[in-house]
Order: sequence, then C-alpha cells, then structure tokens
Amino acid sequence: MGRYLLRRIGQMVVVLLGATLILFACLFVIPGDPVGSLAGSERSRDPAVVEALHKRYGLDKPLIVQYGTYVGKLVQGDMGEDYTQRRPVAEILGPKLVNTSKLAVAAIVFDAVIGAGVGVLAALKRYSIWDTVVTLITTILVGFPTFVIGMLMLNLFAVQLKWVPVIGDPSDPAQVVLPAITLAVIDAALVARLMRGTMLEVLRADYVKTAIAKGVPRREVLLKHVLRNSVIPVVTYIGISFGGLLGGAIITETIFNWDGIGMAMSTAIQQQNNPIVVGVATWGVAIFVVLNLVVDLLYAMLDPRIRLS
Amino acid sequence: MRLTSTMRWTAVAATAVLAVAACSNGGGSSNDGGKPTASDNAPTKDGGTFRLGIVEPTAIDPYNVQESEGTLVAQNLFTGLTSVDVNGKISNALAESRTSNDDCSQWTFKIKGGTTFSNGEAVDTAAFIRGWTRAAAKDAASDVAYHLNEIDGFKELQDGSATAFKGLSAPDATTLVVNLAIKDCEFDLRTFHTVFSPVPKEAGPAGNKTYNDQPIGNGPFKMEGPWQHNSKITLVRNDKYALAKAHLDRVEISILNSANADQLEYQGFQAGQFDWARLPTEQLSVAKATYGPKNEWFDWDANGMNYLLPITYQGPLKSKEARLAVSYAIDRDAIVSGVFKGFRHTATSLVPPAFKDAFQDGVCASCVKQDKEKAKALAAQAGLTPGTKLYFGYNTGGGHEAWVQAVAQQLKDVLGLDVQIEGIPFKELLKKENTNSATGMYRAAWGADYPTPGNFLAPLLATSSIGEDPATHDATGDNRGRYSNPAFDALLQKATATKDIAERTKIYQQAEKLAIGEDQALIPLFTRGQQRVGNTEKWANLTYDFNENPSLAKVSQK
Repeated sequence: MGRYLLRRIGQMVVVLLGATLILFACLFVIPGDPVGSLAGSERSRDPAVVEALHKRYGLDKPLIVQYGTYVGKLVQGDMGEDYTQRRPVAEILGPKLVNTSKLAVAAIVFDAVIGAGVGVLAALKRYSIWDTVVTLITTILVGFPTFVIGMLMLNLFAVQLKWVPVIGDPSDPAQVVLPAITLAVIDAALVARLMRGTMLEVLRADYVKTAIAKGVPRREVLLKHVLRNSVIPVVTYIGISFGGLLGGAIITETIFNWDGIGMAMSTAIQQQNNPIVVGVATWGVAIFVVLNLVVDLLYAMLDPRIRLS
Repeated sequence: MRLTSTMRWTAVAATAVLAVAACSNGGGSSNDGGKPTASDNAPTKDGGTFRLGIVEPTAIDPYNVQESEGTLVAQNLFTGLTSVDVNGKISNALAESRTSNDDCSQWTFKIKGGTTFSNGEAVDTAAFIRGWTRAAAKDAASDVAYHLNEIDGFKELQDGSATAFKGLSAPDATTLVVNLAIKDCEFDLRTFHTVFSPVPKEAGPAGNKTYNDQPIGNGPFKMEGPWQHNSKITLVRNDKYALAKAHLDRVEISILNSANADQLEYQGFQAGQFDWARLPTEQLSVAKATYGPKNEWFDWDANGMNYLLPITYQGPLKSKEARLAVSYAIDRDAIVSGVFKGFRHTATSLVPPAFKDAFQDGVCASCVKQDKEKAKALAAQAGLTPGTKLYFGYNTGGGHEAWVQAVAQQLKDVLGLDVQIEGIPFKELLKKENTNSATGMYRAAWGADYPTPGNFLAPLLATSSIGEDPATHDATGDNRGRYSNPAFDALLQKATATKDIAERTKIYQQAEKLAIGEDQALIPLFTRGQQRVGNTEKWANLTYDFNENPSLAKVSQK
C-alpha cells in the first residue's frame, strides 16, 4: 500500500510537470504580446513600459528558462504575478478557489443524495409509475443545456420573484442553492440513471438470490450486498465529476456571477493574462490526479477483490 | 486543446445566455425615450445608497487608472486641477487659474488653498507633485504615465536616472509651475486625466499594495474599507470635500464578470438591485420601449468613434483613391438600421459629435451616403479591380461579426473585391496591425482621454505616433495604419502652439479635413452610441458624464 501510494504520487508529479510544460508551450506560441497593449484596449503601451514589463515577467527569456523559473517558484508556493493588476496569482485565485469549492461541494452533495437516492428508489420499484416518471424526467434533464436551466432559474427566482439577489454574494450560504442546483441537475440525472442500472444488475446477481434464498432479511441484503456492490461505478462517476467541478464551472459561474476560477479562466484567456491561465490549469490538473488517486483508494475499500499494487 | 475547448464553450455560453435573455422578455415597439430632464432641478436631499455594477478595474489608484470603470472610482475619490462636462467643456476644479507663458513652455496653476485629503492632510502643490512624480517613476511601470510625457524631466524619471520631477516646482503652497519639454498650449486639458491627481504622503510609491486597494483621496467620496477584488467597492461621502459636497451617503459598486456584465447589470436593474445599468445589445429595443416612457432611458452619442483602420503604407489601400473607394462603397445607414437598430449612428467625421465645438458634420464626405458610382470610379483609378484580395481583420468576442460581414458583403457587391475576413483575439489582432507585413484593413475604435480633437488626431494619425522599431520595423505607437503627411503634422504642431482656443479648434478642423476628408487615412463608420437605464424615480440629477459614468457626485434622493 505504502509503495503503491509512493509510486502514484511520483506519477502525479510527472503528469503535473508535463501538463504545465505543454500549457506553457501553448501560451508561448499564441501570437500577440500579452503586455503589448493596455488591458482590453487598443492603446499601445509605451515601448519603455513594454520593455520594463517584459523584464518584470521574464518574457524576454526563452521558453525553457521561463518554465524553469515558474516551476522553481511554484514548488515554493509562488504562482507569480498577473499581467493586468500585477497582484500575486495565489492571492487572486485563493478566494476564487474557495468560492468554486463551495459550489462544487454543494453540487456534489446534491448529485449524490438526490441522484443516487432517486436511482435506488427507481431500481427497487422497477416498472412502477415512480420508475417511469424518474426515467422520463432524467432523460429530459440530461438533454437540457446548463445555461438554459441557469438562465431560467435566475430569471424566475431573482428577476421575477426576487427571492434571491441577481448579483449574489458567495459568502451567503443561502445563495449557493441556485447555482449548485444548476450545476448539479444534469449530473444528478446521470447519477440516477447510472445508479438504477447498476442496482438492477446487482439485484439479479446470483449472490443476491442466494442471500435471499438463505433467508437473510431483505434490509440486510439490500444494504450489505446490493448497495455496496452497485455503488462502485457511481463513486467513480461522482469522483471524476467532482474533479471537473473543482476545476471551475464557466457557464454556471458566469450566469450567476459566482466569482470562481471558471470565470477567472474565461476572463484571463480573453486578456491573455497567462499567469492566471497557467495557474488555473495547473490547479485543474492537480485536482484531477489527486481525485483519481482518491477514487482508486476508495475502490479498494469498497471492493475487497481489488488490490492496490 | 483545453484552451480552445474552453474558449469555444465560453462563446457558446455567452451567445446562449444572450439568446435566452432576449427571449425572456416580450416584444415591443421602440418609441422615442429621450433624456430625462424633468428631474434636473429637483431640490436636493442628502442620504441614500446608490448601487451599480461594473467589471473589475485594472486599478483604482490614480497612478494606473485606465478604463472607464477605474475612472468611475478614481474620479469620485480624487479631484484634480480641472473637470470636464459631458460636452467636453473644461472648467477649473481645484485650480483657481491656469495660465501659460507666450510659447506655452511654462504653465502656472493657482490652487485653491486650505483643502485637505479625507485623512486631514493638506492638498497643496506638494501633493500634486507627489502624485505626478509617483506615476512617472520607472518602477511604477504605469500604463498611463505617458500623459505626463510633455513635462520636463519625464524621460529621466522613466529611465530611472532621476527620482524628482525636474519640470515641476512650487514657489508656494498654492502655486504649481510646470515646465514643459514639449510645448503645448492645451496642456491644461490633460490635467483632467486621473493620473494628474494629487496624493497624500501616505500613498508611498506606486507599488504600495495597501494604498493601491484603498486610496486616500480628496474627492467627493472616500473608500469604506479596501477594494474587495472581484466582489465590491464601497464609497461613502467625504464630508471634508473642498467643492460642492456629494448628497449620497454611500455608493455600492458590485464587481461583475466581464463576459456578461451588461446582462447582469440589466437583470440587476430589473430586479431593483441596481440604480444604473448598461444593457445587452439584443434587449435595447425592448428596454427603450419599457423605460423610455418612464424617463429612465439614457441614449447618447459618446466620446468615441468606430472606424476602419486601412494600412496606408503598403497593400491594396495604399492610395487614397482606394481608401475613398472603400468608404464610398459602404452603406452605413443600412448597417445602422439593420444591425444596430438605430442605437448607433452613421459617422461623418473622426472627431465625434460629443466634441461640440470641434465636430464637423460631414467632413468625411465619403461617409455621408453610399455612392456606388463614385466608389467604382475611384477604385478603377486606384487599380482596385474586381477580384482584388482585401484583408479585413477584426477581434472576436466584441460582437462585431454582424456588421463586419455586412461591410464585407457591400464591398463585394459594389467593388467586386475578394474580402478576406479574419476574426482573431484582440491582442493578436493588435500585434498583426503593428507588424511591417500588415495589409488591408482592420476594425478599430478610439475614445479620447481629454476633450481635445488632438487626442484623436495626434495618436491615431501623426507621424510621430507610428514609433517604428528600428530593429523589427514594427509599429509601437497607436498610428498603426502608418499614415504620414508632413502637412498634417505641421497643422497639429501649429494647433498645440496656438493659445486661442477658437483659433486652435479651427486648425484641428483643418487637420481633420486633410487627413480624413482628403486622404481618408481612417474610414469612420459609426458613432459610439451609449445606452443606460437609470432609476430616476428614486434619484434626482442622475445623468452621465464625459467618461460614460453616472454623475454620482451630483445625484440626490427624491
């Protein structure tokens, strides 16, 4: 187990280094000088100022040197300074990460509780009216674009009914509800369908039939044998989905003006504010590899047949 | 890969957001709203909190304030020597007089005595010198310090060989003497820019992060706590203000995502959360019908111009006949009504109508009305034959697609040109315009920092604004079309050397006539039409200023 962990962490470092290098190279080949003009304007910067800024950000150095400097600073927790406001990237992204995480946690709880719960009930009451309704609604929701749900909810609850403000405050827990539901609805529908499917499969398995034949109480069969075995693919799905959510949800964050890293990323790309772009992307890769590891470890806990080696 | 897919999704989302929003309101016919005027002379009552949304500014510390959002905050925190009304008329603010010597190499400003910053420190000449020096210092790497470039000693500050501003001196606490290295008879107009603000001792150097986020100023308002980045900025009335005090208790500024800020502002206004808002283009007609009759609709042609930037030193638009042909071939009126639904107007000059005294309606003769025959004749003369390839670059993400397509189609229909449209990100476009392999024409726009025609004509068209890099031959200035005409340059020089304002305006008008009317160095297209909704039911004296911001210092409760 220890050696496995060590090896996986080693792999993670390699993946992270590779990903940041590719990112750096991509940003480097984008034409246009990121500090050549004023932010969002066509006014040229004074050549002297451009030169000073090139020096300040190391843009006068070759790609590989820039990358080396970046990684060297990154391991010390320094993500550099952004191009427009000239503030430390870590200071800019910190509160945004918190906001994105709040949204991601709320959405994933919604996913897991509502999605999995509905799926379990549908599987247990197979072919009932309840099952049909769930199948119908989830099918419709899966086909719904996020922005439609978001815009409809914002217009209804904020603009028309005025239950919540249009311009929300991420520090108010009540205001996470709308964006979290927007973000989770489609995923929850997928989770419900996945849960229903795997559960039905497990219910037909021989060991479940055996347990029932041996007279094990239904409650125990369901909890110990059925649920535990059918939850594995759902855990994988939710884990990966959580990783995606932590990487920022551009559409939802944009509609609800939720100051997260998805919004930061979209703005930074438009402004060619590369330190922010690299910072967010590095975070995205990091969170993804870490969550992959966590999911793999969870697997082993849930299914004793899986051995980590 | 990640980048492209993210960008695509942003674009899809933005479009979709707009589309859905556009559908969510019922249709309505547009009728004329006009400016609310009834409220302008209402009795003033102190108190109240005014709320609005902006996008995150680059800076609110005057050393680096650049876009209209930063200016909104900084102009309410700081009061400099002069102020400018919505028609571009300058007047004294803290200055009591502003005079120059005969050749305009020296300016003397008398400053109102006994005024203070909100922390009690005196606003004297030293405070002005401190502010200007701080912005021009090398380490500041300020984006706006170039507005100070005429002052003697600016170069030395910029290259780090000096720490004091040689050209500035203070014979006494209320007299500021400015020696210019580049003579300018309208230097006083520049002092309207926020980079000319006074700062207290507490400001320290430009890199002082505490002050950057919570500047202490001498304006009608002061900060209530530091700038909460990407979240909000709160201003409260400065009761120590030296001039006419503000009436509002507080101004709450929410910071919105730049991708859909106008949408969020308008939704916030509809929900009663904001008192002033921009609107998404798609909803202008419906909003005008709704808010126009209630006197809550603001619609004006602002200080700015949309135009085509032809590359004048090489390529198909090298000759003025070719540029004139292109200009004559464009049916601006059709685009104004078809694409802009009348919310922008046909431009007939480069210097916009917002500059009341200098504006010359129709100085761009080719702009006034499409003339296919003239266009064809000029094209033939210029060798701009049917089938000629004409590059047309524009920046994506600015909603320019529809009118760019329309212009290209008109050029194709009238002149038979093979117009090659390319949409690329903004910085990439600017880079492309600057390189010495640039060709064809580009979409462009400009707004003036201070109310002089010179602030359009000089940066965009003077030879000295090309700034060709001797090594790469790329342009580094704002004259990217690289128009160069000694007669035009001479007129500009004559203008800045003319003390009489009316006389100077005339010279600028001659210069514009030469560069735009005759040489067609730029091809004006549309005015900078601006629309806002404002809660005039609750607020009196609510209007817009030269920088397109609400007049916070004048607003009062009804």
